[in-house]
Amino acid sequence: MWQQIIALIIIIFFLSRLIIQAKKKTINRVEFSLWLVFWILATLAILFLKQIDSFLLRLGFSSSGINFLLYLAVMMLFYFIFKLRLKFQSLDQKLTDLNRIITLNKAKEEDKK
Amino acid sequence: MKKIICIIPAYNEGKNIYKTVQKVKLYLENVVVIDDGSSDETAYKAKKAGAKVLIHPINRGQGAALQTGNEYALLKQADLVVHFDGDGQFLASEINDLVKPIIENNYDIVFGSRFLEKKSAIPKFKTYIIYPLARIVNRIFLQVKTTDPQNGFRAMSKEAILKIKIENNGMAHCSEILYKTHLNKLRFKEVPITVIYHHFGQKFSSGLKILKDLFVNKLNQ
Repeated sequence: MWQQIIALIIIIFFLSRLIIQAKKKTINRVEFSLWLVFWILATLAILFLKQIDSFLLRLGFSSSGINFLLYLAVMMLFYFIFKLRLKFQSLDQKLTDLNRIITLNKAKEEDKK
Repeated sequence: MKKIICIIPAYNEGKNIYKTVQKVKLYLENVVVIDDGSSDETAYKAKKAGAKVLIHPINRGQGAALQTGNEYALLKQADLVVHFDGDGQFLASEINDLVKPIIENNYDIVFGSRFLEKKSAIPKFKTYIIYPLARIVNRIFLQVKTTDPQNGFRAMSKEAILKIKIENNGMAHCSEILYKTHLNKLRFKEVPITVIYHHFGQKFSSGLKILKDLFVNKLNQ
């Protein structure tokens, strides 16, 4: 019971941060919606932990609902890191391309002189 | 008469670049140094030695500098390019050995190799551990079989430059070029070259970074 209350307080804290960021317009609408859905799902998972337990039992898993949520969270974290790496790589390449355009344009101008 | 441009990527090579350019100039008229965002006198010294200098505003790595050089060579209507290191570890006198097979036998790309007739004083750890592993990786993942798995001394025809766009900014460009040579079914040859080791060069950790770069780049495509 206490664990659930602590988890909910943490979620409320993150939700408030999310709303503040949205008000400051530091994140766009898509990003806001994505995280809002994520935290709502997390809240539902915490509120219906017992139901998740029995659901997992029916599926034949021996672990409890909270363990399942932890595994899920770790998997999601890995996925986000993976996506971030790809995004970072793509930005890195764009930076290189921009760097190259500037260099070649400057060289072309010098050659014209 | 074919137009040949020698491309030398250089990052903080202020100490060596003047001599390197001068030595290359004995064999090739057109030398282009890509100063990859150096904080020392690399650009100034390369220009003083008679090279055309292109400056990257920020450091992007050897692969990125080589691609900039290749694109510039295409703009200047080069028939072939030679990739050469700025730290003086290659011999300019061997440039002709790399260029010859392209001019005389229509090869698309010629790679220098430290493991043919000429012998370089390669550190033992590299000879017996790093390079055999790199050869295995090249054969399994890139389907490329060469005696030298990681060599920056090469000559490329115009056709090869058009077909191979170097996308790995760092040192993984060597493996990338080998892979794209295979992928585009380009005619290639290895010729013996000598490498002078001033220091150990790339470490085992650099090899792992090359693997990571190749993997992430492939995922991104």
